[in-house]
Amino acid sequence: MLRNVFLKSLRDQRRALFWWIVGLLALTLYLALLYPSIAKTPEYNKILEAWPPELTYTVLGEFADYSSPEGFLNSSVFFLTAPLLFLIFTIAFGSNAIAGEEERGTMDLLLANPLPRWRVVLEKFAALVVLTMVLAFALWLGLAIGAVAVDMDIRLERVAEATLSGALLGLAFGALALALGCARGKRGLSIGVTATLGLAAYLLNSLAPITEAVKPYRKLSLFYYFIGADPLANGWNLGHVAVLVGVTVVFLAVAVIAFARRDVAV
Amino acid sequence: MNDVVIRTEGLTKFYGRQRGAIGLQFEVWRGEVFGYLGPNGAGKTTTIRTLLDFIRPTRGCATIFGLDTHRDSRAIRRRVGYLPGELALYEKLTGVELLRYVSHLREGVEWRFVEELATRLDCDLSHAIHTLSHGNRQKIGLLQAFMHKPELLILDEPTLGLDPLVQQEFYRLLAEVKADGRSVFLSSHILPEVERVCDRVGIIREGRLIAVESVATLKARALRRLEVHFAVPVPQEAFARVAGVRDVTVENSILRCTVMGSLDALIKAAAQFEVVNVISHEPSLEEIFLAYYSGGENHAA
Repeated sequence: MLRNVFLKSLRDQRRALFWWIVGLLALTLYLALLYPSIAKTPEYNKILEAWPPELTYTVLGEFADYSSPEGFLNSSVFFLTAPLLFLIFTIAFGSNAIAGEEERGTMDLLLANPLPRWRVVLEKFAALVVLTMVLAFALWLGLAIGAVAVDMDIRLERVAEATLSGALLGLAFGALALALGCARGKRGLSIGVTATLGLAAYLLNSLAPITEAVKPYRKLSLFYYFIGADPLANGWNLGHVAVLVGVTVVFLAVAVIAFARRDVAV
Repeated sequence: MNDVVIRTEGLTKFYGRQRGAIGLQFEVWRGEVFGYLGPNGAGKTTTIRTLLDFIRPTRGCATIFGLDTHRDSRAIRRRVGYLPGELALYEKLTGVELLRYVSHLREGVEWRFVEELATRLDCDLSHAIHTLSHGNRQKIGLLQAFMHKPELLILDEPTLGLDPLVQQEFYRLLAEVKADGRSVFLSSHILPEVERVCDRVGIIREGRLIAVESVATLKARALRRLEVHFAVPVPQEAFARVAGVRDVTVENSILRCTVMGSLDALIKAAAQFEVVNVISHEPSLEEIFLAYYSGGENHAA
């Protein structure tokens, strides 16, 4: 596991990854097992209708029927929880990848070897992709097991598509965190800026449907390309997936160029 | 000498506040140990990190093996071993794991040689690095610099934290590198160390190279503060005009003075009286600098 930067980056995360998987499986199983009681409670929709729309739109999203399998999973897992978890993981990793190694002072040791800087950035990002996909698989697996256990009427490939959309959203923000770390070498700055932008993007997408002033700007939010076309109900919108992947590639290119051009801090 | 390994041409790097290097002009030759001497904060690390392309020159340039340190950095780093000044290692790895990792990132590491080096430096490789003493970390840093038998070693304060026995072994390693016709560029703020292991020395102060000298010349110019205790009071005039002696003060039977280079003339002058004791103070870096500033002639080579 110490053959190259990519494998070492995976190895560094092995303990964290284990607990992330345990947590994701537990959470998704728990939520899926909760479903039968909600499906049996038709008043659920009425209760939610009584909520102020700002609140429902902020925490649950704009879904028609909260007691249907899609509505339930969207509002309890995909709208907020899954992207939040993906973003926490990818932003932490992305901001740590270059800036963290620099702040701990090990970058000199690493770059003294005959590796080009772009390769360090790309190998670390490749590790992030693999780790994020492992998390996505754990999340899907927990939901799949739960769905089968409670006989939920949902297509597992749609669950996979929604999960992967969340993973791609996470990777886009992870790439942004990586790019900021590559540009400035400060982990705290990278985490702070990326998390703030993530929150802003989330609120923009959530509140745009009920707020006239920001409605035209919804498409500026990356969250729109994750959940806006409701992949759980409709499957992947390839255009939206392309936006997420494209933005990730742009951030990654910025990361590579910024790091190659700059002085490495001691 | 046309076998130039490192050449800097007006290398200038402004870096942070008051840290930098200005207009550096020097060469390091094949098969020599070149000492880069200066107090902390003089610009030694800045120079070294520019040579390795971690930071880029504000002006000027440098070549290593005739290759540009920025454009051809990767080809250079393949042939260079580097010990960082503020050494930071992967704390969670053990020594073996760290060295395995680094050995995979470059070519030409024979593991048997790594083990041989570890034995010679008495280096503990089996424990996690965060449990190791400073000296042990420094040894691991040295191992990763030496293990691929590079043509050029760039070592930033290599003996920092090494105990004396290991230091001796490290000096032997340097001698072997030199005997192989390989080259060493090492920085230090300790004059006796540089005098002991280096062939030539570049002296840097406040970012400027104030001299490049052979160690022999450096010693000849070195100022030494000396105290000679006599059995009887001595006249100051007896020492005022002795060659190489300055700052003469006599208090009854004690002579205090500064001697540049050889002590011979002073000893002969002192011999006409009964000498009880001679106390010599190794010149500090600051005193070496003073010698160069007050000397006037023969600045930077």
